[in-house]
Amino acid sequence: MGVTRTLLLALVMSTVAALGHAAVANADDSQAAMKAHAAQDEAERAARWKDLQHEIFGARFLGDGAGVIQIAAPEHALDAALVPVTLTMKAAQPIKGVYLVIDNNPAPLASHFTFGPRADPRILKLRVRVNMYTYMHAVAETVDGKLFVAQQFIKTSGGCSAPVGSDDAAAMKDMGLMKLHILGNFAAGKPVQAQLMIRHPNFNGMQMDQITRTFTPPRFIRSIDASYDGEAVFHLDSDISLSTDPVITFGFVPDKKGTMQLVVRDSKDVSFHHSFDVPAA
Amino acid sequence: MARCLRGRLRHGSVMLALWLPLLAAAAGAHVPEPTGFWMGPTRGPVATTVKGGKVIHTRKLAALLKADDVMVVDVSDAPKRPDPMAPGAVWLPVPHRVIPGGVWIPGAGLGAIPPAIDKLFRERLAMGTHQDPTHELVIYCHKSCWLSWNAAKRAISYGYKSVYWFPDGMEGWRGAGLPTVVAEPQVALP
Repeated sequence: MGVTRTLLLALVMSTVAALGHAAVANADDSQAAMKAHAAQDEAERAARWKDLQHEIFGARFLGDGAGVIQIAAPEHALDAALVPVTLTMKAAQPIKGVYLVIDNNPAPLASHFTFGPRADPRILKLRVRVNMYTYMHAVAETVDGKLFVAQQFIKTSGGCSAPVGSDDAAAMKDMGLMKLHILGNFAAGKPVQAQLMIRHPNFNGMQMDQITRTFTPPRFIRSIDASYDGEAVFHLDSDISLSTDPVITFGFVPDKKGTMQLVVRDSKDVSFHHSFDVPAA
Repeated sequence: MARCLRGRLRHGSVMLALWLPLLAAAAGAHVPEPTGFWMGPTRGPVATTVKGGKVIHTRKLAALLKADDVMVVDVSDAPKRPDPMAPGAVWLPVPHRVIPGGVWIPGAGLGAIPPAIDKLFRERLAMGTHQDPTHELVIYCHKSCWLSWNAAKRAISYGYKSVYWFPDGMEGWRGAGLPTVVAEPQVALP
């Protein structure tokens, strides 16, 4: 399979090169040139993903995600600093974790979720920063250790340098505050979704304070842990691609009325702890 | 606590209200030229003119580059690895592509330019134009990005007489299927 892929890629690349040469002979803005460069772009994107795949997953095989994982995001997001992404999982084997890769971001592995026994791993929603036109890849890992991939192309750019609010002081205010919404009705033993909102600027070091005109030092969320009555729901390893004031929607299965505990750690090694009654008192 | 947060979140909608003029601009309204450099967020709807310079779009630029000896300057930002990133975390910026022959000078389009970058920008312009202030100069970054507008304005303020601002940026260029090459950034020596 790997060999077939390599051959295919080589074939695409040589076709592109041939088209490229042909294009030079004709007018540059001809249809042929357009097609050649579009094909070159696609070949480059494929090569980029191959590099990232190797970097993140090593030699592991990634199967077609159809029927296992879906990724949905607006193709033309209005705000590159707040691109909403919905991941939907469905598999015969339960899902162990999900990776979100934003190929052309400088730190491409935007998040890695690992699900615990209290999770309902069928849906995740989050918001991310997108630096330039890119493929996003969502990779689901099943409990038997198989990987499945789905992808979507996003046309938006500038998310990394987009400022956080009016100034740093405003963005840092109330850092670590959290809010949890239970979406829908609580019933013991039934899966339910929750929306977690966290106040945190998630500075990546590429944003400029709009008042002092200096680059704000990076300070971003490294991990989030959610547990229900002491049993893990999810662990998230995140990075600079998570949007400011993260909002994460996830599913869990409350066996009875209880408490959702959340621990958020950031790159300054500061931890924020909150607990919420479920259902809300 | 929760109520306090709700207050903060509501503050978010106040922020949104402040952005409404920009959103209106995005819907097609005219963005006037600022009198000085643009000091606001670098991305967003941009002006349609630059005083003392000319605006050029993709097809005309492709033709101009074929016909004349033109200096092309890309002033896009360069990504910077945040220090606190975990040592093993994947940091792999995409190779930066420019219009063939283009010189990449990150920082030259900042609203307030550090002296070292100002010096670098002046030097590179002098070199690329063979010290001829009438030499044609094209400045760009991304679509809807003020960095190139600022850099064009700055080059005009240095005394360059044939400055073209290319607001379609790399997205417009690549979108038209035009060729690009990988470039390294020009950096100021400390």
